[in-house]
Amino acid sequence: MPLVYGGLVAVLCGALLASMTLGYRLYGVDQVWAALFAFDGSETAVVIANLRLPRAAIAPLVGAGLGISGVIVQTLSRNRIASPDTLGLNAGASLGVVLASFWLGVGSLTGLSLAAALGALGTSILVFAIASAAGGLSPIRIVLIGVTIAGLGHSLVEVVLTTNEAQLQQLLFWLSGAFVDRPMALAQTGAPIIAMGLVLALLLARPLDAMQADDTTATGLGVPLVLVRGMSFLAVALLTGAAVAMAGPVGFVGLVVPHAARWLVGLRHSRLIPTAALVGAIYATVADVVARFVIYPGEAPVGAITAVVGGVVLLVLLKRRAA
Amino acid sequence: MSGLPTTVTRIRTPVALGAIALVFVLLALSGVAFGSTWIPLEQVLGVILGAGEKTQKLIVLQLRLPRVAIAILAGGGVAVAGFLLQKVTRNSLASPGVLGVIDGAALGVVIFLAALSNESNALVTSIAYQPVAAAAGALLAISLVFILSGRQASSAIRLLLFGIAVAAVAKALTVILMLIGPIYQTSQAARWIAGAVNEVNWGEIQITALAMLPIMVLVFILGRAMPPADLDEVSARGVGLNLPVFRILIFVLAATLTALSVAFVGGVGFIGLMAPHLARLLVGRNVFAGIVGSFLLGAVMLVGADLVVRVLFAPVEVPAGTVTAIIGAPYFLFLLMGKQRNDG
Repeated sequence: MPLVYGGLVAVLCGALLASMTLGYRLYGVDQVWAALFAFDGSETAVVIANLRLPRAAIAPLVGAGLGISGVIVQTLSRNRIASPDTLGLNAGASLGVVLASFWLGVGSLTGLSLAAALGALGTSILVFAIASAAGGLSPIRIVLIGVTIAGLGHSLVEVVLTTNEAQLQQLLFWLSGAFVDRPMALAQTGAPIIAMGLVLALLLARPLDAMQADDTTATGLGVPLVLVRGMSFLAVALLTGAAVAMAGPVGFVGLVVPHAARWLVGLRHSRLIPTAALVGAIYATVADVVARFVIYPGEAPVGAITAVVGGVVLLVLLKRRAA
Repeated sequence: MSGLPTTVTRIRTPVALGAIALVFVLLALSGVAFGSTWIPLEQVLGVILGAGEKTQKLIVLQLRLPRVAIAILAGGGVAVAGFLLQKVTRNSLASPGVLGVIDGAALGVVIFLAALSNESNALVTSIAYQPVAAAAGALLAISLVFILSGRQASSAIRLLLFGIAVAAVAKALTVILMLIGPIYQTSQAARWIAGAVNEVNWGEIQITALAMLPIMVLVFILGRAMPPADLDEVSARGVGLNLPVFRILIFVLAATLTALSVAFVGGVGFIGLMAPHLARLLVGRNVFAGIVGSFLLGAVMLVGADLVVRVLFAPVEVPAGTVTAIIGAPYFLFLLMGKQRNDG
C-alpha cells in the first residue's frame, strides 16, 4: 500500500513539474527554480510566479476535492455513475457563485466559496428529495434527474451572465471551468476548505464502509444513518463548493477518479479517500497541461477536456452495466 | 391505445388543429410587432403585404421578421423530429436534445466553421453547406447512441443516458472548437451554448426553408405509412412495413430535420420533447395531425420563448434556448418521477 501512495505522489510531482514548465512558452527546471526561490523580476520569473504557479496550486486542489466528493457521493447513493456533475452539484455550486457575485455583489473569496458550497448543498438536497419523493429510484433515474437539474442550473447561469453582459470567456468559465488567470489568493482560501473536507471524509471512512451495503446492514453495524448522511453531505458540499469557487464546474472529474482509485486500492474508504485525492490531483493537473496544447497556441477550457474523457468513461460504464 | 376514430375524435382533431394554427398566427404576428418600438398588428400585416413607410419596412422586414421566421422553422423542425423519435423508439422521453442529436449537429457546424475559414475568418465555401455539416454531425451522434446502447436501447431510461453521455462529449468538443476559428470573434458563440434566433439573415432562412421543404414532404409520405398506435413489430407487420428499414429512414429524417433546425440557431432545448406531448394531448393520435400539430406547437414555443426573452431582458440579447430549457427541465423531471413503468 505505501508503494501505491509513493507512486502516486511521485506521479503528482511529475505532473506539477510539467504544469510549471510546459505551456505556450517552455521553461527549464532551472528557470522555474529561480523564479520561485530567487525571484529577480524578469519577465520569465513573473510569468512563472504569477501565471504558472497559481495554476499548479489550484489544479491539484480542485482535482482532489472533486475526487473525494465523487467517492462519497458514489457510496452514499450506491451508484457507480453518480458524481458531483451527474448529480448536478457542480452546476448548483456554479449557480451559487454567479448569483452571489452578480446579484448580491459578494466580492470576497470566502463569501464566494460559501455561496458555492451552499449551491452544492442545496442541489444535493433537491436531487435526493426529488428522488425519494418519487420513491426508490434506480441509479440511472437519479442520474437523469441530476443531469436535468444541472442543465437547468446552466441555463440560469447563462441568463444571469448574459443579462449582465458578461464576456464569452466568463460564460465559458462558469459553464465548463478553467484554471487560467486565477489569483493565487483563491488557492489560499480553497486549500483550508479542501483540507477540512478531507479530514471530515477520513473521519467518515468507517461508517461509509458500512454504508456500502444496504441501510439495514449499516444500522445493524451501529452506524447512525442520519448523522453520517448529514456529515457526508456537508463534506461533499465543502469539497465541491471549494473546487467550483476556485475553478468553475470542471466536469466529470468526480465521476472518473473514484473508479481509478477503487481499481488501485479496493473498496476500503480509509484507503480509497486519500487515493482519490491523489488521483484527482494528478488527473486535474495533467488535464490542465493537456488543455494548453489541444488548440495550441490557443488554450482550451480544462473542463471541456475532462468532459470529453468523462463522457467516454460514462459510456463505457453504461455499456458494462456498471449502473 | 387508440381505438377506431370515434365521432368525438374526428371532430376534435380539426378543431384543435385550427385553434393551434390561430394561436400560431397571432403569436408570430406579435413576435414581429413587439420590440423597442411597438408596431400595431395591422401595420405589420400591411408591411408584409408591401405597404408601409421606409423605417417600418426596415424594422419589420430586416430585423423582426427574420428572427420570427427562423424561430418558426427551427422550433417546428425540432418538434417534428421529436415526434418522429418518440414514435419510432416508443419512448415518450425521447427527444433530439436528450439523444445527443442537437449537440452532434452543433459540433458538425463548429467543425465546419473552424475548418473552412481562412486567416481573416471568412468562410472559404458557401454558407449553404453549413446545414450539411450539421446533418453529418447529427447523424453521427444518433448512430453512436444506438450502436453503443445496442440491446440496452429497449430500456427507455438507459437509452437516454447513452444519449446524454454522447451529448456531453459533443458539447465539450464544441466548446473547445468554439475558441478557434471565426465563431468566437463574431460573438455568435452563445447560440452554440443555448440557441438564439437573433442575427439570422434572410439568406440563411432561405437555405433552411428550401432544405426543410423536401424533408417535410418525405415525413408526411412516411407518416401516412405509420400506424397511429406505437410502432412495434406486430402492428408494423400488420400494416405491411419493413420495420428495420423504416426505422432507419425515420431516424435519418429526424436527425436531418434537427440538423436543419439548429444549423443557424443552435440548440434549443426541450422543444422536441414538449411539443409532441402537447400535440398528442390536443389533437389525439392521428399521425398527420400529430406532425402538423407538433410543427405548429414547436414554432409557437420558440417564437414565444424569443418574445419572452425580448420582453424581459431587452436590450440585452439572452438566448431563447435558456427559456425553453428553464421551462422544459422541470417538465422532464416531472415525467421522470412519474413514469415508473420504464425500468432503469
